Amino acid sequence: MQGEVRVTDVVPEAGSEPPPLYEARNVSKRYGNVRALIGVTFHVGCREVVGLLGDNGAGKSTLIRMMSGIVKPDSGEILADGKPVRVESRADSERLGIETIYQDIALVDPMSITRNIFMGREITNRFGFMRHKRMAELAVDVLQSAVHIAGIDHPDAEVGFLSGGQKQAVAIARAVYFKRRILLLDEPTSALSVRETERLLAYVAGLKQENVSSVLVTHNLYHAFMVCDRFVVMSHGQVVFEAAKEETTIEDLTDHVIRT
Amino acid sequence: MDTLKFAGKVTAGRSTPSSGWDGVIQRLRAAVRKRPAGGIAVLFVLLQLTCIAGGLIFPEQFRYLNPANIRVTVMSVAPLGIMSLGVGMLMIAGEFDLSVGALYSFCAVFAATIANNHFGGIENPLSPFIGAGLGIGIGIAAGLVNGAVTIGFGIPSFITTLGTMLLWNGGVLLYNGASAVDFLPKAPFAPMFGGQFWLMDSGFLWFLGLAVVCSFVLHHHKLGNHFYAVGGNQQAAIAIGINPAKVKLIAFAITGGLAAFSGIVAMTRVSSVQPGGGVGMELRSIAACVIGGVALMGGRGSIVGVVLGTALVFTINDVLLLLRAPGFYFDMFVGALIVVAVILNHSIRRRSWT
Ligand SMILES: Nc1ncnc2c1ncn2[C@@H]1O[C@H](COP(=O)(O)OP(=O)(O)OP(=O)(O)O)[C@@H](O)[C@H]1O
Ligand SMILES: [Mg+2]
Repeated sequence: MQGEVRVTDVVPEAGSEPPPLYEARNVSKRYGNVRALIGVTFHVGCREVVGLLGDNGAGKSTLIRMMSGIVKPDSGEILADGKPVRVESRADSERLGIETIYQDIALVDPMSITRNIFMGREITNRFGFMRHKRMAELAVDVLQSAVHIAGIDHPDAEVGFLSGGQKQAVAIARAVYFKRRILLLDEPTSALSVRETERLLAYVAGLKQENVSSVLVTHNLYHAFMVCDRFVVMSHGQVVFEAAKEETTIEDLTDHVIRT
Repeated sequence: MDTLKFAGKVTAGRSTPSSGWDGVIQRLRAAVRKRPAGGIAVLFVLLQLTCIAGGLIFPEQFRYLNPANIRVTVMSVAPLGIMSLGVGMLMIAGEFDLSVGALYSFCAVFAATIANNHFGGIENPLSPFIGAGLGIGIGIAAGLVNGAVTIGFGIPSFITTLGTMLLWNGGVLLYNGASAVDFLPKAPFAPMFGGQFWLMDSGFLWFLGLAVVCSFVLHHHKLGNHFYAVGGNQQAAIAIGINPAKVKLIAFAITGGLAAFSGIVAMTRVSSVQPGGGVGMELRSIAACVIGGVALMGGRGSIVGVVLGTALVFTINDVLLLLRAPGFYFDMFVGALIVVAVILNHSIRRRSWT
């Protein structure tokens, strides 16, 4: 198992490294006629930030959603810590310690910020009744962790009335609060200001110290180059290039993203 | 652990209201704006004040405060009210049930028939309980079928329950024929579900009790939170790990069960049940919910709103009766009220964000 051949062999000495936290082998997914993923092999190692790059429609979000358990692959294998696992629901991926900031944000507009943050993971007493005060207190803290955005200091404000960037900050805060081992960020900075973007990127880089790995999907190669240790470029559902940061340059990456 | 930096300000409350009348009004306005049923609460209070004033000024012509009038009005609230609690929660979860009116009749007729003809007949004090239990069981099962078909085949619940509405409407005639069924249970069933207390009847007390329970479930239990999540944005709910099929099935089951219960309560009060007695109630309960601020698209609404919506409908009904207006005015008024209530709720919500 350990000597697997990858697209580019970035593991220096096979055998000495622990198995990747997450690994997808040869996974495929089609939506009707669209082949969103074609034999993709992808892994997330310990304490690393992976940049997932590629043109619009390359299949990046599909891969992220598959890792999150809300898209099931048609074929292929998934391993966690080197052991085969099934990731067929959000509950499965949660068990693996995966937390996701989705490209489409995944917030419920008519609900409050607090309720969005704790949606599906409410803090309750043993009868299932929610502890509103506790959640509201935590929400205030959570909202000030990774990104600080003005105008969202009311945890009971309705999400539907927030601006795009404020919504994104709530989605980020939620994932950051619940993250355990792997944080997936699907274009997390698309609505953020320059300052907040830098703050989030710094935060992601810092997560390695806490033993949390990340996958960053972005169209901004400069951002990717700032924080990622390894790059994976996708095109038309396939992985077309893979390299560690030391082995490549922004120009090289740009070339691969544009050309393929 | 998280290295959270708790820099910056902690929640600064909304502009602190000044003392005195200004403060009271300001706080009242904030409360009205924050609640989804705020607009309807104001409308309800205004209507009540007007009616009470009218009743005091013209005690002979407008007998609004007459105890007999209060009793009759309060009594008539329970069946539609109990049904609307379920319908409202289901709407918040993003689905409709048009079959509740048909279930209301079917389950009551079924419960009465069982109680009359089995387990020692109606003379046995236990048999109405068994009949009612089975009737409610059928309601829950019918709700689960509505949910399973809707979710399993991915079709709109509007269509599924339009179908089951016709199914149960026909079913009650097949099962029982068109004749009314008598239901004369002994104590303790009769006083428990059809008794009178002062200005209220037991049906109304059941309605209030169930409203409190539903309110706790909807607003304070995680299940209720999932109703809002699934109804507000199903994709987001899935993405975050909520199973919409499970949540909606529960909502459908509650709705079916409450529809059956409302039929049984109504039947106990009048001691008989008419097959087809529930026809039209499905739309009236949707109307009550919408008037009470439940969003047609799901994700928004409250139990207080549903209760007030139902109460408002029956207050209007009562006023029209007292003014000796012909029956068709009722539908016209309720029709206008639906539109006014929705406009009111929309404008309040839009203005609440400043
Ligand atoms: N639910 C779906 N149904 C049908 N086709 C889909 C669905 N989701 C994605 N696709 C298709 O799969 C392909 C890959 O989409 P995906 O969202 O993964 O791209 P992406 O790399 O994230 O693009 P972008 O950078 O624009 O976000 C696209 O051709 C898209 O149209
Ligand atoms: Mg995408």
